[in-house]
Amino acid sequence: MIESLASLLMVLVVLALGPYVVAVMDRLVATAPRGALASDVWLGPLSRAAWLLTQHANATEAPDWQAWRLAPALYLALAAVGLALVPWSPTLIATDLVTSVVLWGSVEALATVVIFLHGWSANAVLPLIGAYRYVALGLSYILISMFVLIGAALPAESLQLTQVVASQESLWNVVRQPLGLPLFLVVGLGLTFWGPLNLADSTDLAGGTAAEVSGPSRLVWECARAVMLVAFSGIAATAFLGGWLGPWLPGPVWVLLKTLFVLALLLWLGQWLPRVAPERCVTLMWIVLLPLSFVDLVWAGVLALWA
Amino acid sequence: MELLTLVIILALTLSAGLFIQAWPLRHQPQPSYSQRIPFLGGGTPDTHAWNRYHIRYYPMTLLLIAFEMEMMFMYPWAVVFVEKGMMAVMEMGMFLAILSVGIVYAWREGVFRWQ
Amino acid sequence: MAVSWLRQLAARSCVPVYPVWGEHDEALLATLVLSTQIELVDSPRHASVLLVVGEIPATLRDGLKHVHDQLPSPFAVVWFRGAPLIALNAPIHVDEADRLVDTLIRTHRELMLGQRDSASRLLPDEPPNPWEGLGDDGHGGEGMMGGTPYGRPMAMNMQDDLRDGLTLDSLTFRLGPFYPALPSGLCAEITLQGDVIQSWETRHGALPQRLAPVFYAARERPVPIAELELARARYHLVQLYRGLHLAGLERIARHALSLARQLSTASRLDGLRRQLVRSGIFHLAAMDGGQLDTEMAARLGGPAARAAGLDADLRMDDASYQRLGFRPQCRTDGTVRARWEQRLAEIDQSLQLARQAEPDGLHTANTEAVETPRGPWSAKPPQDASALLDQLLPGLEWDEAMTLIASLDSREVAETSGRANI
Repeated sequence: MIESLASLLMVLVVLALGPYVVAVMDRLVATAPRGALASDVWLGPLSRAAWLLTQHANATEAPDWQAWRLAPALYLALAAVGLALVPWSPTLIATDLVTSVVLWGSVEALATVVIFLHGWSANAVLPLIGAYRYVALGLSYILISMFVLIGAALPAESLQLTQVVASQESLWNVVRQPLGLPLFLVVGLGLTFWGPLNLADSTDLAGGTAAEVSGPSRLVWECARAVMLVAFSGIAATAFLGGWLGPWLPGPVWVLLKTLFVLALLLWLGQWLPRVAPERCVTLMWIVLLPLSFVDLVWAGVLALWA
Repeated sequence: MELLTLVIILALTLSAGLFIQAWPLRHQPQPSYSQRIPFLGGGTPDTHAWNRYHIRYYPMTLLLIAFEMEMMFMYPWAVVFVEKGMMAVMEMGMFLAILSVGIVYAWREGVFRWQ
Repeated sequence: MAVSWLRQLAARSCVPVYPVWGEHDEALLATLVLSTQIELVDSPRHASVLLVVGEIPATLRDGLKHVHDQLPSPFAVVWFRGAPLIALNAPIHVDEADRLVDTLIRTHRELMLGQRDSASRLLPDEPPNPWEGLGDDGHGGEGMMGGTPYGRPMAMNMQDDLRDGLTLDSLTFRLGPFYPALPSGLCAEITLQGDVIQSWETRHGALPQRLAPVFYAARERPVPIAELELARARYHLVQLYRGLHLAGLERIARHALSLARQLSTASRLDGLRRQLVRSGIFHLAAMDGGQLDTEMAARLGGPAARAAGLDADLRMDDASYQRLGFRPQCRTDGTVRARWEQRLAEIDQSLQLARQAEPDGLHTANTEAVETPRGPWSAKPPQDASALLDQLLPGLEWDEAMTLIASLDSREVAETSGRANI
C-alpha cells in the first residue's frame, strides 16, 4: 500500500516537473558550447506558461470542440500512463503488469490517434495537413518500436518491464543489443514529433496541428509533449540502460540519471538535425530502419539462446 | 491494485488536462468571426477544411496491416522464445523473411512515395 | 490576488511577436531574432504583439487586417516606420531601430499588467456566409449537396488528381501575403489535393526588397570592393537563415544570422558549413527537386542562374574584379540543393574577394552594371519573378514546395535605397 502510494506520488511529481525540466534542458542544450546563457533560462519556462494561461483560447469557425479540447488532455494522459510503467526500483512501480511492454505499445499507437485528432479537429487547412502527415510517420515508427522492444523482452522471457530490467543484471541491453537504443531513440523523436521528426507541428505549416491553438490549450499540448518525452526516456532507460541497476547509488536515482541522459540525447538530436521531408522519412523508416530492427531482433534472439 | 493505480493516474491527468483548458475560459467571450478564420497568412479559404482527403501514403497502410497481424503472434512468441529454442528462431525467421520480400516488392512498386 | 501574480509572471516572459514585413532593412531581422527577450513566431495565434514593419501597400491591407484580427486577445500592435491602419486607441509607433526591442517588451508588459487594453478587431464580426439553416440537418443545401453549413460550403471537386488520377476533394484557398514561409507580400490562390499542390496561381508578387546602401552607391560611384562583397555575403547569410529556420534548424539558423551581423574580412564560413553538412540537411530535406530550366534560370538571374549552370555574372565585366582574378562559380543541375550550395560557395567567394581587395582599398570600376546578390542590375534592377512559382509548384508536396520557395529568391529589387539607414 505504502509502495503504491509512493509510486503514485512519484509519477505525479515527475508529471508536474517534467515540462519544466525539458524546457530548461532544451535551452541549456541549445546554448551549451557557446556559454551565452540567456538570463531567464530558469524563470523563462514559468513566465511563458503564465503568459499562455493569460492568453485567450483561440477558436476556428466550426471546429470539433470536444475533440479539440480532448486531444491535448488525452495526450497528457497517455504520457502519464507511460510514466506509470517505468519501474523506479524492483518494488517502486506504479503499474507493474505482466504485459507492460504491450501496454506501452498501445500508448504509442494511441498517441498517433490523439495527435491526428489534434490537427483534424481545428477544421483548418494547415493543421489538417500536419495531422495526416503525422499519421504517415506514426504508422512507420510503430513497427520499429515493436521489434526493438520485443528484442529487449527476449532475454527476459517476459513482457514485464521489471523482468526486462532484471534480465540486464549481467549486461545492459544497450551493449548486448547495440542496435536497440539508437533505433528506439528514433521512435522517441517520432512519438513526440520532436526535432527532425516534427512533421506534425512544423514551421512550413506555421505550427501545424498547433497553428490554430493558443492559450491554455497550447500550454496543455506543450506540457503533454514534454511529459511524453520524459516518459519515453524513462522507458528507454528501463529497456536498454538497465533501469535501477547500478553501483553505489539507490535504484531510483539511477533511473533518474539514466532518464535524464536519454532526455538530453533526444534534445541534442532535436537541436542538430533538420526536419526530414515526409516522403523521405517514410522511405527511410521502412527501407533502412525497419530491416535494421529485424537484424536487431535476430541478433537478440540468437544471443538469448546462446546465453 | 496495479490497474487501480493506472486508472487513478489516467483519471487525474485527463481531468487536469481538461481543467486547465476549461477554467481560464469561464469569463472569456467567444472570439469574433474575424479572428476565427483559419490562419493562412492573411488569406482566406473557400470551403471548410474537412474533406475527402487524399492520403498519399495509402499503399503503405496496407503493408502495415500485414505487420500488425504479425505482432499479435509475436508477443506470446517473445515469452516462450528461450524455452522453444531453435524452432522459435526458425519460425519467426521464416515469417520475417516472407514479410521482408513484401517490403522489397512494395519498395520496387514505389509504395513509400507520395502517390 | 491570484490573477495578479500570474500576470506579473506573464509580464516577464519572452515577448512572442508575429512580424509583418513591409519595406525594411535586413539588419532589423537579426536584431529581433538574436534578441533573447523576443521570440518571432510563425503563427499569429502564438503571439501577443503584432509588429508591422514599414509601409504596407494598399493592395495588401486586407491581408494585414486578417492577420491583425487573428491574434487572440490580449494583444497589441506596434507600427515600425509606417502609418498605422487606424488611429484608434493611441497606436504604438516607433521610428528608431534601437528603440524597437524595448518598445516591444514594454508593450507586452503593459498588456499583461492590464495597463493597456487589447487592440480592437478591424474586420466586422460576421460569419463568412449566412447560414440559411435549410435541409434535414440545417446545412443549408439540398440533400447532401450545396449550402453553407456553419458559414462555408463543403469541399467538393471532381478534378482528377495530378499524380495518381484519383478523384477526391480538393481545397482551394488563398495563402499570403504575410505567410511566414513565403516572402512577404506574395499571395497565391492554391488548390490542394491532400498535401500535394494541384494548382498555384500567384496573385500578388513579393514586395520589393531594399538592398544594402552600398549596392545603390555602387551604381553612382566606385565603392570599395571589400565593403560591397561583405554586404553580398551578409545578404546570402540572411537568406540562409530563412531556409534553415524553415528546415527546423533554428540553432544553426541563428548562427548564420549572428555571423551576418558580425561579418568582417576576418570571418570564416567553415564552422557554419561544417555544422550544415553534419546535420545532414542536404540529404534529409527535400532538395532534389525544384529544377530550373535555362529559360527560367535566365529570368531569375543571379545565384539561381549560376546554380543552373549559366555562367553569367556582371562582376566579370568589371576591371577591378578582373584584377582580383574573379571567375564566377557555377553548379550544373539547378536544383534546390544546387542553389543552397551555390549560395554557400558565393559567401565563401565574397569573403575571399573582400580579403583580397581590402589591403589595397580596391574600388569597383564599373558603375553602369552592378551584380546584386539577387541578380544583375544593368538597365533596370532584378524584377519580381514570383510568377515562376506557377510552373514550378504544381505536383509538389507541401513541404517540398515550401523548401523550394525558400531556396528561390524571386523578389524584385527596389529602385532606390529609400530612407536613410538609422
